[in-house]
Amino acid sequence: MGDFQFAKILGYFPDLVRGVGITLELGLISASMGLALGLVLALMKYSRHPLLYWPATVYIEFFRTTPPLVQIVWLYYGLPLLTGFDLGALGAAAVALGLNIAAFYAEILRAGIIQVHRTQWQAARVLGLDLKDTLRFVILPQALRNVLPPMGTTTIYLIKDTALASAIGTPELLRIGQLIAVETFRPVEALTIVAVFYFAITYPVALLMGKMESRLKAARV
Amino acid sequence: MTNGEPLIVVDKLVKRYGSATVLDDINLELDAGQVLVVIGPSGSGKSTLLRCLAALEPIQQGTIRIDGTLAAKGDGAGVPGPDRASLKALRDKVGMVFQSFNLFPHLTVMENITLAPRRVRGMAPQEADALAIDLLRRVGLEDKRDVHPERLSGGQQQRAAIARALAMNPRVMLFDEVTSALDPELVGEVLRTMRQLAEQGMTMLVVTHEMGFARDVADDVVFMDNGQIIERSPPAQIFAQPKEARTRAFLERLLEREGGR
Repeated sequence: MGDFQFAKILGYFPDLVRGVGITLELGLISASMGLALGLVLALMKYSRHPLLYWPATVYIEFFRTTPPLVQIVWLYYGLPLLTGFDLGALGAAAVALGLNIAAFYAEILRAGIIQVHRTQWQAARVLGLDLKDTLRFVILPQALRNVLPPMGTTTIYLIKDTALASAIGTPELLRIGQLIAVETFRPVEALTIVAVFYFAITYPVALLMGKMESRLKAARV
Repeated sequence: MTNGEPLIVVDKLVKRYGSATVLDDINLELDAGQVLVVIGPSGSGKSTLLRCLAALEPIQQGTIRIDGTLAAKGDGAGVPGPDRASLKALRDKVGMVFQSFNLFPHLTVMENITLAPRRVRGMAPQEADALAIDLLRRVGLEDKRDVHPERLSGGQQQRAAIARALAMNPRVMLFDEVTSALDPELVGEVLRTMRQLAEQGMTMLVVTHEMGFARDVADDVVFMDNGQIIERSPPAQIFAQPKEARTRAFLERLLEREGGR
């Protein structure tokens, strides 16, 4: 068995930091993409107009019910074959994760919008606000506040899911850890360090969400 | 006023929900500066009438004109409803206050009032703030400008909602049972604000169960039942000698209840 040898791993510190950078990039791109697309999908499904409702519903169900790993692999290998358009490993992973998380964000945001009382729409309408301003200033701030905790949890899931990008060779944190494990023959130590780095990324996100939540609560009372 | 036409003209209005007729051939005119109180049992269509006037409900037949603008047009006969531009023009002319206040809970009182003037009218922030402060003074809430609605009593919330509607400088104010959700001791302050508004010459359409307000402030009282206007008379007359038996029966039931309090 022997003992743990973390010293060996720490020699790879610069590589690990680079991996953290790629992981953050993946998370940031897919989260912003997921938020924008998720918001559009949520509104499409909320509208109940069949031409908006059904495409959004099909999209959401498709991406919720298939594994993100399959979506990543498909976008990386399948898309170039079909269209000749190659996103590269980082691009394919970021886009696939963004498309995937959009489905989850959409359902959460829609729940948040539903919770906003119908009379808020009416009040905005009587004041003459158009749809865009009604959403931006009246409905969405309240909707987002309603669903901040599940949005935070989903975002943390997303950050951890960026590890799936390692499957197509994106040099993100887990992939770097795997390479270190192979070079040093110390997989347990390597992956332990990797886990600590993931914690260092996700825990601040959790803290930030908690802070936002209590700030909003304080503003309400 | 344009060529002596009344400010509000409702002509042969029919409103249905599915197969249920909620408003049945409503004809109504209201001159600028007048206060019309609408009374009637619940389910008589009073609130729906207000909601049609605010273009919150599509109508099936007839027309609604406010200050010369076509507010709504029934599409029962295949005629198109009012276009976007006239709906926008209409909402410029109408202010509405709801039973449940409907203030925006995530905004301060001040932000509630300035949002529409800034976004719809394109008013500069300082100008909108000055307007809001002036309105808050008028409804007696100048010290509550930076407070969120949850911190206000029901009566204060309703007064803030009135200020919010006034900020758009409407030609007509619609009040939909605005005191019904209030604790009894808070009703007075809201009615006082409405009285002041009437004295300042605001054209008002008020759905209420507050007969004291109707008696003192209304130019005319309309009694509705089953989606129809049964009677329209000045308050002195409708309370003393209502023309219709149904009006009398309704008022007797109401006064009985008030006497029992």
